[in-house]
Amino acid sequence: MVKFLKPNKAVIVLQGRFAGRKAVIVRNFDEGTRERPYGHCLVAGISKYPKKVIRKDSAKKTAKKSRVKAFIKVVNYNHIMPTRYTLDVDLKDSVTSDVFQSRDKKVTAAKAVKAKFEERFKTGKNRVK
Amino acid sequence: MVVAKKTKKTHESINNRLALVVKSGKYTLGYKTVLKSLRNSKGRLIIIANNCPPLRKSEIEYYAMLAKVGVHHYNGNNVDLGTACGKYFRVCCLSIIDPGDSDIIKSMPGEH
Repeated sequence: MVKFLKPNKAVIVLQGRFAGRKAVIVRNFDEGTRERPYGHCLVAGISKYPKKVIRKDSAKKTAKKSRVKAFIKVVNYNHIMPTRYTLDVDLKDSVTSDVFQSRDKKVTAAKAVKAKFEERFKTGKNRVK
Repeated sequence: MVVAKKTKKTHESINNRLALVVKSGKYTLGYKTVLKSLRNSKGRLIIIANNCPPLRKSEIEYYAMLAKVGVHHYNGNNVDLGTACGKYFRVCCLSIIDPGDSDIIKSMPGEH
């Protein structure tokens, strides 16, 4: 009886091009909107995961392997699987509904998300022990 | 054998309570509506038949864990659960939204 689809919830995208990728809910629309009369949410996720880095790698190679490609998407609730994990990154100001109106806005928003994700990855704060 | 076998008596009482919910309360039948009711936190109790596919059963249990809603594993298959609801079709999972006059919500989650 607890609402669990909230911002900062980690979810897995189940359908579409990004199926199997992890994402984070930025904003939900439980009741839907006029254009989308179903429950949906804005998610920001990882399109390309960072590759595995080994001890042999040079600094240049490590930097290249630690890159993350992000995506932002509007997904139906039926197409995501919520998890019990949360990710507290502040994406609210960069990912908004009007970002999807033009391709340029979408690309810049995705770049902002990418920067935040890479920073979180490099500091190792979310590292699984 | 220390297996907690569900006796005939408690099984009938679940059926009685379910019949009362169907008569006086609100409920939804079926996997898609069960997930919907869990997402918008309207579901109060979930009942799953015993021949539900294990992946689907785990998924419903996970959603219920997130929503802090009790899940009851019905002692019978989807045919029996459909009959218990008074329907002529199979019901694999159902969600009780408003129990009406029944006390199913208060008595069931203790057993799980």
